[in-house]
Amino acid sequence: MRRAKLSHYAFFILPALLLLAAFVVYPSLRTIYLSFVDEEGKFTLAGYKEVFTSRDTFDPEGFKRGFPMGTLIHNLLWIGIHLPLSVFLGLLLAVLLKGLPGVSFIKSVIFLGMVMPMIVGGVMIRFMFDGNVGVVNMFLKFLGLHTQTWTAYPETALLSLIFGSVWLWTGFSMVLYSAGLETIPKEFYEAAAIDGASRFRMFFNITIPLLKPITVVVVTMTLLWELKVFDIVYVATMGGPGGASNVLALQMYSYAFREFNFNKSAVVAVFITVSTLAASIPMMRLSTRE
Amino acid sequence: MLKKGLMILAIVLMAMVGLAVTLTVIGPWAGPEQEAFMPVLKAFEEETGIEVEYKVYRAEDLANLLPAQFAARRAPGDVIFMWASFIREYGKKGHIMDVSSVIDPDWYLAGALDPVQVGNRLYGAAYTAKVKPGFWYRKSLFKKYGLKPPKTWDEFLALLRTLRAVGFKTPIASGDGVGWPLSDVTEHFLITFGSPGLQKDLIEKKISWQSNTVRYAMEKLVSLLKEGYFSEPTEWTTILQQWWRGDYALYFMGSWITGMVDDPSDLGVFSLPGAKGMVFGADYAFIPKYTKHPEEAKKLLAFLVSEKGQSLQVAQGGHIATNKYVKLSAYPPVDAEVAKLMEGVELLPDLDDSIGGAFQMAFWDQLKLLWVRPERLDTVLKVLDEKLK
Repeated sequence: MRRAKLSHYAFFILPALLLLAAFVVYPSLRTIYLSFVDEEGKFTLAGYKEVFTSRDTFDPEGFKRGFPMGTLIHNLLWIGIHLPLSVFLGLLLAVLLKGLPGVSFIKSVIFLGMVMPMIVGGVMIRFMFDGNVGVVNMFLKFLGLHTQTWTAYPETALLSLIFGSVWLWTGFSMVLYSAGLETIPKEFYEAAAIDGASRFRMFFNITIPLLKPITVVVVTMTLLWELKVFDIVYVATMGGPGGASNVLALQMYSYAFREFNFNKSAVVAVFITVSTLAASIPMMRLSTRE
Repeated sequence: MLKKGLMILAIVLMAMVGLAVTLTVIGPWAGPEQEAFMPVLKAFEEETGIEVEYKVYRAEDLANLLPAQFAARRAPGDVIFMWASFIREYGKKGHIMDVSSVIDPDWYLAGALDPVQVGNRLYGAAYTAKVKPGFWYRKSLFKKYGLKPPKTWDEFLALLRTLRAVGFKTPIASGDGVGWPLSDVTEHFLITFGSPGLQKDLIEKKISWQSNTVRYAMEKLVSLLKEGYFSEPTEWTTILQQWWRGDYALYFMGSWITGMVDDPSDLGVFSLPGAKGMVFGADYAFIPKYTKHPEEAKKLLAFLVSEKGQSLQVAQGGHIATNKYVKLSAYPPVDAEVAKLMEGVELLPDLDDSIGGAFQMAFWDQLKLLWVRPERLDTVLKVLDEKLK
């Protein structure tokens, strides 16, 4: 009976397992293998050495001179700026918009950035920051401030992409936080109000702690996206000027499809994978513990 | 009896349909450029009875697609237009057919086949080309301000100063995209203030980017960038419109510009004074080793690059023939003018297209940096040397 049940399960699981093996497991293992061999298939760590000592990955001169600083630092900057901004703005919007009339429409508009393919988002960022037709410059001009094509300058290219992507990504955290806010029982706030708690205190002592599981999801998903960000950079700046907005995923692409060096590309791919695992496993554990 | 006859006829027709060869040509031209290419393919179909299907793929996309296809011993097309550097690279790896038996080098302008030739093997053929003659201007604008194309470097500087004085804060439009329009301007400076030989030496990696010769030519360009004569890099088709409507006075672009403006008869062009060479960028096509119809594909390639094929293409405008037997009368008037500009100067391959790979991407990207931060010339040259290795 039990064997029959098992074969039943296997019948349904096997197709999915086969697909996973063919399209996820095998390519992943093959990528790891490629990262440890040279073009002739001999074992070597030269690829790792070359990638991690390359100016493309880490350029210490950038700290004195300014951008580029290397893809590793650029991705870290992406995390350092984009993550807190998009999480905080999402939470703020979710709280501010809660219970307002016509809120679904406003939320839909904010969420549009997330619905849009990131490639389109990248094109829009490029035009948003353009010196002639960009909405950012129109606003700056209105305020009497300096205007330029912000994505064309090494000092501002990466920051333009990061701020542009905050606009695209905030809808995601806002929607999750909005859903999370709906799950918090009203009684908690009523009881706190009877006890004389201020709105500020209620926010920090009730809302924030009860939204912790949502925060874990938002932070994990955002972090993973930031580590593998590619599309926006590819279409908006192609990593330029002079590598000033280059990121790990684009570096991987360039090694593979410009240099045709699949071994070096595999090194970057393995590094991105390990980084995403290192970031997501503790977050997942945290969420399970909750 | 009638039934039997009809059945046999149906079988014969089906067999004919099954046996009919349809070749797939992959090229980068879409929209009006595709429309201009289709008459050439149609002429081939009429001449040979072989059907041809055309698919559009940008070279950048083919660079992603073809390595994986070749590894699987497949090809998405029978005749494919692609970068010369890619054709050479994958020809050497054995994925591309040697076409020296069907292409006669004598048909071509000198040096046109060099980028796809490896020893005695010819891995591709040159179709039509575009030249990058220099700075384009509107004749009506020059007439309005009483300006003339410069004959010396000093006159060129004087022209820029005059243009600024009459209201063009940044007289020269800088086209951008992935970066190639900037590389075209840079190559023109290298050829003018270095020499045509410098361009060839850089392609063959015989000279360092940090050498005095390169630095001298680049400093001429940098001097103009520092003076703010060039605009910020802006998407090249957008800035083309801005230049045409009068926001800028000069625009460095290839000869295809003649097909992109409302009134080509208002176009004028001049090279930097003293330029003894001109970049001549041919479109190269190859036959992948994995084509199912090698003989038919060879026929098509030979037709495309023949005098007849190229004459049909240049007649559509915006193209210059690489086949030396194409007559000047085959061109529309404005292109004939461009073709005349080529007389007396050395025709040179495009630098970054010839080198390709990581260098090409770095070249484009570093020039974007140089355009906005000309004081970083040293770093730019250093990076270019590193990427060339």
